[in-house]
Amino acid sequence: MALRGLARARALYEGRDQRARELKAEGRKVVGYLCYFAPPEILEAAGLVPYRIRGDVRHPVTRADEYVEPYGCPFVRNTFDLAVTGRYDFLDGLVMSHACDSVQRMYGIWTHYKPLAFSHMVNVPHTVTEASERFYRRELGFFRERVEQLAGRPISDEALHESIACYNRTRELTRELYALRKSDPPRLSGAEMLEVLIAGTGLPAAEFEDLLREVLAEVRARAAAPGVKRARLLFYGCINDDVSLIRLVEECSARVVMDDTCIGARGMAGTVPDGADPMGGFVQYYFRGFQCPRTYRGTDLSRFDYVVEAAREYGAQGVILYILSFCDPHKFDLVEVRRHLEQAGLASLVLEDDYTLANVESMRTRIQAFVEMLS
Amino acid sequence: MTELRRATKSLDTVRRAREMLGSYYKRAERRREGAPLAWCMAGVPSEVLQAFDLSCEWPENFGTVCAARGVAAELCERAEGEGYSQDLCSYVRNSIGYVSRLLELGQVPPEAPRGGLGTATMLLGSGALCDPRIKWFQSLSSQYLPLPVFHIDPMSPPHDSHVDDPRIEAHYKEILSETLHEQVAFLERTLGRPMDTERLRAALGNAQETIALLWEIQSLRRAVPCPMGSEDFFTGGVVPLLFMLGERDAVEYFRCLRDEVRDRVARGVGVIPDERFRLLWMGIPPWYNLGFFNSLGELGAVFPAETSYYVGAPVEIDLSDPLEALVDRTWKRAVWITRWGAEVIPENLSPSGFSQPGTRLIRQWVHDYRLDGAVMHRTRSCRAVSWGQIHIKNQLEEEGIPSLIFESDMADPRSWADTIIMGQIQGFLEAIAAGRRERARAS
Ligand code: SF4
Ligand code: SF4
Repeated sequence: MALRGLARARALYEGRDQRARELKAEGRKVVGYLCYFAPPEILEAAGLVPYRIRGDVRHPVTRADEYVEPYGCPFVRNTFDLAVTGRYDFLDGLVMSHACDSVQRMYGIWTHYKPLAFSHMVNVPHTVTEASERFYRRELGFFRERVEQLAGRPISDEALHESIACYNRTRELTRELYALRKSDPPRLSGAEMLEVLIAGTGLPAAEFEDLLREVLAEVRARAAAPGVKRARLLFYGCINDDVSLIRLVEECSARVVMDDTCIGARGMAGTVPDGADPMGGFVQYYFRGFQCPRTYRGTDLSRFDYVVEAAREYGAQGVILYILSFCDPHKFDLVEVRRHLEQAGLASLVLEDDYTLANVESMRTRIQAFVEMLS
Repeated sequence: MTELRRATKSLDTVRRAREMLGSYYKRAERRREGAPLAWCMAGVPSEVLQAFDLSCEWPENFGTVCAARGVAAELCERAEGEGYSQDLCSYVRNSIGYVSRLLELGQVPPEAPRGGLGTATMLLGSGALCDPRIKWFQSLSSQYLPLPVFHIDPMSPPHDSHVDDPRIEAHYKEILSETLHEQVAFLERTLGRPMDTERLRAALGNAQETIALLWEIQSLRRAVPCPMGSEDFFTGGVVPLLFMLGERDAVEYFRCLRDEVRDRVARGVGVIPDERFRLLWMGIPPWYNLGFFNSLGELGAVFPAETSYYVGAPVEIDLSDPLEALVDRTWKRAVWITRWGAEVIPENLSPSGFSQPGTRLIRQWVHDYRLDGAVMHRTRSCRAVSWGQIHIKNQLEEEGIPSLIFESDMADPRSWADTIIMGQIQGFLEAIAAGRRERARAS
């Protein structure tokens, strides 16, 4: 029997690229993209299959060392190692964006050693000004043109609106699912939630929408669990595309009820404004509004208010700050976000990782101590 | 750790740098109490600052000075204690440690070299070159010195952009022009005075001369024996190039340096008496141990070329609208770099006068400079400059040239493991010598 709901999400999470490979076998072109600065809506509007490039924490990096230095983002290095060892051979194209130094620099190395028939970099300014918004908008225009070339057909405004609407629905449904974690205990665990989201990153939006509807129905129908009190946490930080860490936190008598990470809530907040000017909507959503620390947003700590508000809304008592080694943007913000959380009365715990989860046991001890302190 | 030492300079001009570059080294004397002073990052065009007659300090340069004077480790440690990861750029950590000490003492810490940094009234950053540059002043301002911050935000074309396409050119020039105009507007607002356009024009004219002189010096360094090594470039070339581009002092200094190098070439005088290995230097130098280059000199190695702070070929510009001339210069240089292969130097568009050479150019250097090998400094806390070394190593291998990559840091001397590094260097030089003997036998 075909799997449904959470079971299907888990299967898709585990067989990460299975659906994309199937679609490719059906003759569709699959384009891998890293970071949201290259809006997947544009790829879909051209009939392409966007596939968010992920790492694999269980995959040991071996070959990448022949081409790129060790002191850089371990996540990006891991994705490149997967490419070099053939895991991404099903991709017809590669789209990266100037998110941070690591991604930007990896683009040159990746396209040199593992060239694809189609590759493109979306450039992204570091400051939010009218000039930089105009620049990003022009970048999106160039991106659209390149995508049209790859697809061999123009992107109609209609297709773009449809794609935007579909992505917006997935975001809305995701937020509905998140809201089911406000209750105590939450109706859905942090690990389950992340599985669904990661599953979605490998699917066309319409299929993700179906999956979300199934999951919502399933979770809504769940009987309320007995109300065991556990510490409620918000998970903040670098990209997290594996559920092990959230599972670990949840094994330590805590519940991850909310997050601020880019596959999670950070990428699901709000909707792309759609109207006469879809490109303007992308600028608003993916550039002006998207809270990635790679963008300079002034020096006022109130820029982290949204994290505090999310913690309050979801009844989180503490925050896990998850940081990957050599991630400059997050490592600068770390000091400030911590201070801001502290001022708001929210305790935090920093977990640094090199994208191998090698220190799970020491992490466990520290998480346990943190959870104990909170309760 | 054995001794860290300062470089012994080979050239007279470099030895006289402090006296010749008075406008930089004597700036402490010119500080006026309460007068505006900007802390700036390399990447902010110094010509524009001159056009405002604005006093400046460069925390990056301060990082190198603190490193050379042996106080950087303590300052870095202090920043780490305040939550700034050891992964972060050591120039950044050094400046954060310094500011934190300053606030604690209420005055310039006594250990600060050169009387510390002048009291800043604004912070001028740049989004070009690396991520830390866009976050550094955010940290300084939000955590320590609540000062106005302005960042220029130039964007660089990726290596595979069609830089000959007029639309691409317009795209990159537009944001550069807009961001520079915003900077001018910010300075006009903050300082309450207009920019002196004449002065900007003069500064850009001076910068053109400087760039041409450096280009000539770099070409002269091809001579055998090599008339000028990396130690002289790093001790005597970086300050006038990065922080004084556009000043008359810098032009005169580089002219004098060019004359001296030219004279050495004519007379066949080299940096070291017995030149056995001609090596390319790649990466930021260990500022706390520039004497390292002399140690290599004692082993017969000389560095006629380096990739950092590379100036490249001069370009023609029309100075009638000086701000647009700066845009044009910046774009043309980026195009030049991109054409030589910019896959590992993605930040090739910076309004300051330096960048890094493209991959194919480095391959070309093997022949131009008669290189025997390359030594690459992998700086743990700076990814922006050290990412790409393995790629260049791979490329040089195709030219039959071996490379050594060793690890340490530019300003944090705690990373320097002298015995290990010197052992690696010796092994590397021996391997080059053995390869040479092998080839001689075979032919
Ligand atoms: S984790 Fe940090 S360094 Fe890595 S890709 Fe994301 S922002 Fe860049
Ligand atoms: S390029 Fe490297 S050394 Fe320079 S500021 Fe950036 S991180 Fe620091």
